Amino acid sequence: MTEDSGFALSRPWRRILLHRDVLAGLLFIAVAGLGLWLSRDYPVGTALRMGTGYMPRLLCWILLALGALISARGFRDPGGSTGESPIGREALWPVLLVFVALVVFGLALERLGLVVAVLLLVAIGALAGRTLRLAETVLAAAFLVTLAWAVFIAGLGLTIPVWPEW
Amino acid sequence: MELLSNLALGFSVALTPWNMLFAFIGAMVGTLIGVLPGIGPIATIAMLLPLTFHLEPTAGLIMLAGIFYGAQYGGSTSAILINLPGETSSVVTTIDGHQMALQGRAGAALAAAALASFFAGCVSTALIATFAPPLARLGQSFGSPEYFSLMVLGLIAAVVLAHGSVIKAVAMIVLGLLLGLVGTDGNTGGQRFTFGLNDLADGLDVATLAIGLFGISEIMANLAQRESSRDVVAKKITRLWPTADDFRRGWPAVLRGTGLGAVLGVLPGGGATLSSFAAYALEKRVSNRPEMFGRGAIEGVAAPEAANNAGAQSSFIPMLTLGIPGNPVMALMIGALMIHGIQPGPQIMTERPQMFWGMVASMWVGNLMLVIINLPLIGFWVQLLKVPYRFLYLAILLFCGIGVYTVSNSPAAVVIAAVFGLLGFVFQRLNCEPAPLILGFVLGPLMEENLRRALRVSGGDPMIFLNRPISLGLLITAAILLLIVALPAIRSTREQAFQE
Repeated sequence: MTEDSGFALSRPWRRILLHRDVLAGLLFIAVAGLGLWLSRDYPVGTALRMGTGYMPRLLCWILLALGALISARGFRDPGGSTGESPIGREALWPVLLVFVALVVFGLALERLGLVVAVLLLVAIGALAGRTLRLAETVLAAAFLVTLAWAVFIAGLGLTIPVWPEW
Repeated sequence: MELLSNLALGFSVALTPWNMLFAFIGAMVGTLIGVLPGIGPIATIAMLLPLTFHLEPTAGLIMLAGIFYGAQYGGSTSAILINLPGETSSVVTTIDGHQMALQGRAGAALAAAALASFFAGCVSTALIATFAPPLARLGQSFGSPEYFSLMVLGLIAAVVLAHGSVIKAVAMIVLGLLLGLVGTDGNTGGQRFTFGLNDLADGLDVATLAIGLFGISEIMANLAQRESSRDVVAKKITRLWPTADDFRRGWPAVLRGTGLGAVLGVLPGGGATLSSFAAYALEKRVSNRPEMFGRGAIEGVAAPEAANNAGAQSSFIPMLTLGIPGNPVMALMIGALMIHGIQPGPQIMTERPQMFWGMVASMWVGNLMLVIINLPLIGFWVQLLKVPYRFLYLAILLFCGIGVYTVSNSPAAVVIAAVFGLLGFVFQRLNCEPAPLILGFVLGPLMEENLRRALRVSGGDPMIFLNRPISLGLLITAAILLLIVALPAIRSTREQAFQE
């Protein structure tokens, strides 16, 4: 759903494709399609003796139908769209950075320890904000490292390594 | 008097220093996140859920409950002082509350909100104590067909009461049901949607999902907008006590708000947010000076604040008595029970009376603490509001990350939460509410279990759901609800109601 809003589509098509309902419907269809593809080999069984795939495939078909219905309603509703992308391009950057910050944090926590993981999270996360001020961020990082250590290691005794383990 | 002895038991549990400490922590944390815009009770409770593993279950539940109703108190503070709701349930409080603050009556508005919340909290605690035992007895006569039908009704009611498009809410529920299937199939042992990953073999965790959909996506949404400047009405709050005229106008509004909130909170899909919107609409309609609404009418503060607290607390009734969550917070509470190996359902009250009544009594204790936390300490919370968001979101992001990690001590959970954060952000932009998804996710496995059990009892005959009177009644109610939404005439009034 993060498609580039600068696509060279003619005006009416853009209006339709960027309609929230159309996009939401397409998203549901995509998820249902993925689910159907993933569950293609699950044994289905019968209603009485349901196999592993019975419920998943049933729900995927329902979701597919609902998605189609939602996007169809979006197509027929010309007034609902302003022609503007529901997710503007300028919004992408902070959103992706928050995502990356969390993923890096998760992957670093066990290998590099709490301190490095928190520093990485703050560094990447701070880039997501619009008003980056270096001195403030350094201060915030120091504060958060101390806070995380005090609450989670000293206070709650979680078994997360504090420093990198070589 | 069974009720009195039950309450005596409850207070003997709630008033132990240990449990009072956790009621206080819950109330404090609840007020904190209530005051701060950008983090809500769902994400907070999800983050703290793994920590309750180290606590005794009663103390853990008391703390989590305190966070939920504490947030209803704190939400009004930022709504009144900076015109920015701390919680979605305080959105309507901004309308008249901030106007009052601009007119130099911030103190009166804050006091009205806190006192209304306290009154509503006391009343709904009494309601829980009165109505929970008979409801639990009714629940104990339920078999798996009744439970299945009850959950169908619950999901449909959640759709009907959801904001916005009904069909999108249905799709979100189905998506939640699908996500609930991830993991090992309990009946056949087959793997579903695990991508061959060990981390997914036990299924997704409700806390991970909730932190992603409600915590992380909220950070993303806030950063995607321009940072709005916050003008704290920092003029000294001199007069905390409302005037005699405020009391005269506020009282009936508080009573109406409490009643409405208590009723709406019990309904699935109801709870604090719906209650506050409905209460505001009701006040505007019955008022003899509707032109004052939006210009600082005290009723517009007192009624929704009473309603959101009443709704927050009465939504515990179906969760505690039937094991059915009506909103995402209750879904997480059920998760907390399960962490301790407690099967949610009507037997909780008979098997663990200390826990049940201790929690009910702690709500009253917690509400009393909240008045003290909120009124005399208001200056502290005002200072807190001056912390800029560019610091806050880093702290929230960090606590989300560590919270998710501790759910299962696995880095994979953090990555999964990040993915759901992204998904939640997209849903938000496409006007899809995430609450029905969480309900579907929690109820899905329970429904499948009861469906299979019922069909095994009946030898595969689906008529079992229609042959048993209670089950039939529940299904008919569900069908009527669906019909009501489908009828265009009623649909337009419903949209009107949400517009207000």
